[in-house]
Amino acid sequence: MLLLEHDAKELAREQGIPVPPGLFVDADSVAAASLPDGGAWVVKAQVGVGGRGKAGGIGFASTRDEVAGFVRAHAGSVIKGHKVAGFRVEQKVAFEQEAYLSFMVDAAGRGVRILLSAQGGMDVEAHAQHDGAMLSALAMPDEASIAAAAAPLLAQLPASLQAPLRMAAVELARLFLELDATLLEVNPLFVRADASWVAGDMKLSLDENALGRHPELERVVRSRPTVYREAVFKLEHGFDYVEIDPRGQVGLLTTGAGLSMMLIDEMLQAGLRPFNFCDVRTGLLRGEPTRLIEVLKQFAHGGEVAVVLVNIFAGITDLDEFARLLLEALDAVPEIKVPVVARLIGNNFEAARHRIERSGRAIAVTMDLDDALRQAVAQAEATA
Amino acid sequence: MSGFTLHPGMKVIVQGATGRMGSRHAELMKQYGTNIVGGTAGASARRDESALPLFDHCADAVAATGAQASITLVPPMDVLKAVTEALEAGIKLVVSPSEGMPVRDALLACELVKEHGASWIGPSTPGLAIPKRMKLGFIPDVSLVPGPLGVMSKSGTLSYETCFRLGSRGVGQSTWIGVGGDSVKGSRFAELLPYFHHDADTRALLILGEIGGTEEEELAAAIERIGFAKPVFVLLAGASAPEGVTMGHAGALVQGGRGTVKSKTEALRGVGAAVFTRIEDLVNGVLASDV
Repeated sequence: MLLLEHDAKELAREQGIPVPPGLFVDADSVAAASLPDGGAWVVKAQVGVGGRGKAGGIGFASTRDEVAGFVRAHAGSVIKGHKVAGFRVEQKVAFEQEAYLSFMVDAAGRGVRILLSAQGGMDVEAHAQHDGAMLSALAMPDEASIAAAAAPLLAQLPASLQAPLRMAAVELARLFLELDATLLEVNPLFVRADASWVAGDMKLSLDENALGRHPELERVVRSRPTVYREAVFKLEHGFDYVEIDPRGQVGLLTTGAGLSMMLIDEMLQAGLRPFNFCDVRTGLLRGEPTRLIEVLKQFAHGGEVAVVLVNIFAGITDLDEFARLLLEALDAVPEIKVPVVARLIGNNFEAARHRIERSGRAIAVTMDLDDALRQAVAQAEATA
Repeated sequence: MSGFTLHPGMKVIVQGATGRMGSRHAELMKQYGTNIVGGTAGASARRDESALPLFDHCADAVAATGAQASITLVPPMDVLKAVTEALEAGIKLVVSPSEGMPVRDALLACELVKEHGASWIGPSTPGLAIPKRMKLGFIPDVSLVPGPLGVMSKSGTLSYETCFRLGSRGVGQSTWIGVGGDSVKGSRFAELLPYFHHDADTRALLILGEIGGTEEEELAAAIERIGFAKPVFVLLAGASAPEGVTMGHAGALVQGGRGTVKSKTEALRGVGAAVFTRIEDLVNGVLASDV
């Protein structure tokens, strides 16, 4: 999961990484904010996606009014489908050169990919097209291996960059490893006239699977429940849930990430708007309707949800037991009044169907996924 | 990773055999025909209820049983430790179903697997199976049907659904391997291709792929490199996933325009594979061929 630049930099600063002084503001707080000294500021929209600069999310200001003006003009805007969460106002850095340095997990290479370039900045991808502009090496995830792999890259840099970049490489590699990061990119990495360095921009992606051994990172994630919504949901409830379309027509109560993703693709191809993705993982229900209730509660936020589609392919789960939990969950969330189409397949299907029929609820039960999809389409169209 | 091999009668131990998952699945795997010869359990585990010979350490289990393979049914934070122990005991095939293994642990496990010349399947996988012969993991029986398709999948449920539909219409599987939904994993599509290339029971390949990463593109390159001549059918999930949003599988993430369905489709079609984005279209494609 990609952190906001502000959160990444504050974590880095706590670990001794040089970052420009800055603070987080929004449209309400900017007027009263005590901006860092300097008289020249950079105002940066905070959004969990790359390419922000080219999308107009970064502004320069030389007065407090200009700072506030930029913030008010861009507050609530959307960059590449992600809502701007706020702004980091930073002191502008006086620099001599802009370099590029990143560490990332290379899944194909099964190691840590180090990328280094003497030319950083917004056009780094264009520069990288030139032969030799982007230096690259693969290391194992430990400081010694990274230092050994980075050394020959550093030796290829212009002399003025070697000392500051060597220092940056050591410190950033340590941060990358300490935080169990999957990506740490500093671009631009500013080098000043006195050969000191400072992180201009920072992209930090954390491994959600490792949050359990990093209480300090879990705190950061939990502190912004609207920004890191999916990660917070997973921390709270132990399974994956992603809202896809606030105007979605079909609430999905499904298990299995791959099949749920496929189902969403097929719905969109059929002209239907799914409200959410979820992987409720029936194997972990343990006789309690808690997870099902959580998902149904989410559907209550979807104003246009016209049908709930349940899909359970149960290898081991007893479907009769699942049917009992589904009925209990529906009882517990009476706000959900829309019809339910339940595709169930696996052990004890007939008992599950009888139990659902006896309940008298408007739940259509089928064993066939395409049939379930057709019924969901019909329900959604009847409402639209 | 080194050459992956699989034999229906190979001796298997269950690491974490007394846990909730371990005891249940050890029994189900055994019933399916897998040659489960023992298990390991922590010192505090309740052992009186286990039907398996239990050992304190993998090394003891291997010495006593001659096990060649293991399945690690342990919590995600303990997978690295379990894999390490298995490799040090001389196990040559380790399957790790756990979801949620930290990426750094997976990188370290991969390095150890390489050093030991072993194979590792997972993490985040339902495991593997040869229908009606053996399974390591929990691929549902209802989807397992003997037949001509060599199956490799990033997703459990999508493979259950697809193979169930194909199996009900008469096309089953030779060997089924869940490579798992994480980005860093023990065995990638391309690395397992030689196994299916040489496997006489495999007459065609079924790939259940998804957005993110480069495995499908690597597979396309490997098909060309080794001259894989059997038909290849591919289903890709996640065509509609928004950029930068992870849907359940940590590996399924489009970032900076990479890992898209378009890139994967082009690479695979370029080497003659039939690529689909709807389950039923893929099923019909397979049925219409002479596989």
